[in-house]
Amino acid sequence: MLRTALSSAMAIALGYGAASWLTHDFQVWTDEGARRLEVALKPIASPDIAIHGPTTAATTLPALLAGEGGVTIVDFVYTRCVTACLALGSVFQQIQQALLADAAAGQRDRVRLLSISFDLARDDDAALASYAARLHADPGVWRFVRPMDAAGLSALLRRWGVVVLDAPFGEFEHNAALLVIDRHGRMVRVFDLSEQQLALDYARHLARSVP
Amino acid sequence: MSGGVVGGHRGFGAGAQRAIALGLMAALATPWLREALEATMTRHMLMQFPLVMLAGALLAAPADGRLRARIARWNAHGIAGLVFCAVALAVLMIPRVLDLAVRDAWVECAKGGALVACGAALRLSWRTAGAIVQGFFLGNVVPMSIAIGQLYVDSPLRLCNAYQLDDQQRLGAWLTGSAATLGVLWLLGISWRMIRSDSDAPAQR
Repeated sequence: MLRTALSSAMAIALGYGAASWLTHDFQVWTDEGARRLEVALKPIASPDIAIHGPTTAATTLPALLAGEGGVTIVDFVYTRCVTACLALGSVFQQIQQALLADAAAGQRDRVRLLSISFDLARDDDAALASYAARLHADPGVWRFVRPMDAAGLSALLRRWGVVVLDAPFGEFEHNAALLVIDRHGRMVRVFDLSEQQLALDYARHLARSVP
Repeated sequence: MSGGVVGGHRGFGAGAQRAIALGLMAALATPWLREALEATMTRHMLMQFPLVMLAGALLAAPADGRLRARIARWNAHGIAGLVFCAVALAVLMIPRVLDLAVRDAWVECAKGGALVACGAALRLSWRTAGAIVQGFFLGNVVPMSIAIGQLYVDSPLRLCNAYQLDDQQRLGAWLTGSAATLGVLWLLGISWRMIRSDSDAPAQR
């Protein structure tokens, strides 16, 4: 019976260890939660992939993110989206408004917005431009780009933990979120769509702090 | 979860059972079947999990007496085996496991190993456990599965990045249903045996 108690205790200890590893000491239960926690603990650099967009000449993602020395809030979209990206669009519209108000009030914090499309088959420059126009995006604040090729796209999605699924009717399902990228092009935080004020305040704070 | 596989298989010798187990494990490990079974959350948890456990149960076909006795010494009344099984199933039902298993080969291997061990432990422990230990085991696993099933049904958010929301809700409903069915079947079985032993008792005297 002592042996049985011992082996039972070992099974429980093993399970506890596994669960504790999986959940980062019982803080998160989902992979998305783990992704957000891991990013906050350890920033993830942007992969060196080629991108371009209607108002952005061909360049690389790190160059675009680091080029102007500001903080960027990134979201992933596809222009035909009628679900999550619509919410993302209106979140970005509201953040854009706040940023334009900041600029009008003379604040010089450099926070910008970047929407990256993952629908390479349909989102060409024209589609992105009309999407930007529909959302009244100000090109000085909010830009739209897409990776040049599928290999670059999958490298980007994998690196930053974006999971895109095919959904019925040619739609996509994805873990839509607000990604805050620091001035060195590293993803430093992932915020939920419902945390737009937090994301904006965090980005402003990062932009203000030197260097 | 796959309590039905335990016991039985009298028709096949231990060697044949082990061969079937190895064949089943090899088949489940092929990319084609893996992808098919992991394409939806429902198939992942309610088809692949029990199939791997079945392979484990077949692998634990009656070994020679010495090995069995040695295992039994560490597993009196099947307690350790069922504790292991309950703990492993609880860990494997953490939503993150499903996502990680799809994208990380190491986690996938660990998941497979844990499920094989679960199936084997269940078979090596179930009969010796007796009604009380079995009841204790199911009293943990069944409510846990129902609670997790309801969580999957009720959550307005996707708990796994790799799966759709409607899939998650379907899994929740099936998990709740199958756990409840398992519990009811076990209770019916126990009641049936008690009734039968009651009616047999006077005749034996």
